[in-house]
Amino acid sequence: MNQTTSLNKSISLNGSSAISRRPFGGRCAAIALNTFREAVRDRVLYNLVLFVLLLIAGAIFLGELSGGQESKIIVDLGLSTMLLFGVFISLFVGVGLVYKEIERRTVYAIFAKPVSRGEFLIGKYFGLCLTLLVNVAIMGAGISLALLYVHRGWDPLVITIWPAILLIYLELMIITAVALLFSSFSSPALSALLTFFVFIIGHFSADLKTLSISMNSAAARWLFAGLYYLLPNLNNYSYITPAAHGVVPATSNVLLALTYAGLYIVVIIAAGTLILSRRNFK
Amino acid sequence: MSLIVIMILGLAGTVTISRVLDSRRSRINAAYEEESLYLNGNTAKRLALGFNGMVADWYWMRSLQYVGKKVLDSKQGPMLDNLGNLNLKLLAPLLDTTTTLDPAFIEPYEYAAIILPGIDTEAAIRITSKGIAANPSSWKLYHQLGYIYWQGGDYATAAQTYSVGAKIPGAPEWMNAMQAKMSLEGGSRNTAEEIYSRMLEESTDPNVRAMATVRLKQLDSLNQRDLIRKVLVSFKARRNQCPDSWQEIAAVLQTLKFSLDKHGSPLDPEGVPYQLSNNGCDVELDPHSPIPRR
Repeated sequence: MNQTTSLNKSISLNGSSAISRRPFGGRCAAIALNTFREAVRDRVLYNLVLFVLLLIAGAIFLGELSGGQESKIIVDLGLSTMLLFGVFISLFVGVGLVYKEIERRTVYAIFAKPVSRGEFLIGKYFGLCLTLLVNVAIMGAGISLALLYVHRGWDPLVITIWPAILLIYLELMIITAVALLFSSFSSPALSALLTFFVFIIGHFSADLKTLSISMNSAAARWLFAGLYYLLPNLNNYSYITPAAHGVVPATSNVLLALTYAGLYIVVIIAAGTLILSRRNFK
Repeated sequence: MSLIVIMILGLAGTVTISRVLDSRRSRINAAYEEESLYLNGNTAKRLALGFNGMVADWYWMRSLQYVGKKVLDSKQGPMLDNLGNLNLKLLAPLLDTTTTLDPAFIEPYEYAAIILPGIDTEAAIRITSKGIAANPSSWKLYHQLGYIYWQGGDYATAAQTYSVGAKIPGAPEWMNAMQAKMSLEGGSRNTAEEIYSRMLEESTDPNVRAMATVRLKQLDSLNQRDLIRKVLVSFKARRNQCPDSWQEIAAVLQTLKFSLDKHGSPLDPEGVPYQLSNNGCDVELDPHSPIPRR
């Protein structure tokens, strides 16, 4: 049973009037929960989590080849894998969230109910974010357990890696928003490609800024400066390498990164809603 | 059931063919194995897309495998500070890339300080100095840099390096003592013993710790042989001839706290009996003793 059928069922059971009486957050939450349920039913997600846990277990053996650097290798490999797999989940699930509903024409049933396009998009977004949160939490717990195992006891890294995990999650939330934006007007393949490009360019932000300063042409300077501010600066969330040395980011930096992510996501979701609301589904 | 049989047979077939192909494959030309790295540290850092730490780990493990393979191929003992004859020309770029990707990763600097002086002292100094610039609060890196200068016989610069490192908050008291030792008796066995003891104490790398242990045993053995030589000289002065066997001086050696085997031969720090040489007038290591000769 797909997510929309389940959503429709829940809507039918409650009746349209009940749905319309629900507050804005309640309607979004209903869609988010259904999106999460569908993702949980999707075995690919389970396989990814299992694979990452196996990879972390592999890191324990890799650590033996590293000249006494087991803890560092486990944190580096574990957090990098968490980010990489999180990006894959955001890409491949995120780009299909809206497209699948349009393709199966289930979107008509949803929009026939008192659910706005914005609520639909926000619900979808938070549903996938919830899935990612569960993934990231399980992976983080796996890394912590692996650290306890290789250290044969308490290791401060068990605690100090969590701010870096929070930053990874924020980066994934941004990537998910971008994937959803592309998915609201493009095919899944193209959306995945474009989102992947944003992920790559997001990590080259510093170069965009350097280019904007070093270019002779004023137009080029404006272009690169514009791109620098327009595209998400994912370097703000790269804290894996210091985390492996037990370095914790400053609280003010985490709060600023959180605010940046929040604002960026609001802008992207607003743009996605705007595009979706202008689409004609007739 | 038949599908399972097909799967098993198919898998067995692929394993067999793989083994045949492996046996036919000619060994990769050594020139390819020693080909320069395609990416320098800065390019690798840009391409790492935020996965710097993981890529640095990969380069670090590659450095360890590179040295390990050469050591195994040469059938030489694992003496990390004496690998100059192994042509480890890729080691400096590998460690340089590792530390550019993750400048706070201290162990590659330590590895560079210990292995590279025997291959390329300038590269050893450059990489360790880069580490100091990236981690100014790490006194350990001053210890490594001081060790490089000490190895090169530049005791004045070594003393200066220890002196700067000793001023870093959290630096142990022995960094000051080391500065004094370097200034007064840089080339002495006593200083070497101090350096290797500290290395054994501070390093987390099992290979470095193993090397420090062997060097300490070597120094111990050198001291033992000096003592035995004194006993032999004294014996010759009394009897006008050198001893025919260890039995003749076993009692004296025992009072000097030497461990002796059942024939009265003194044992080196690895538990292998020393041998009398030069008609009993001198002592030397047994050819089978793992204590390094140099």
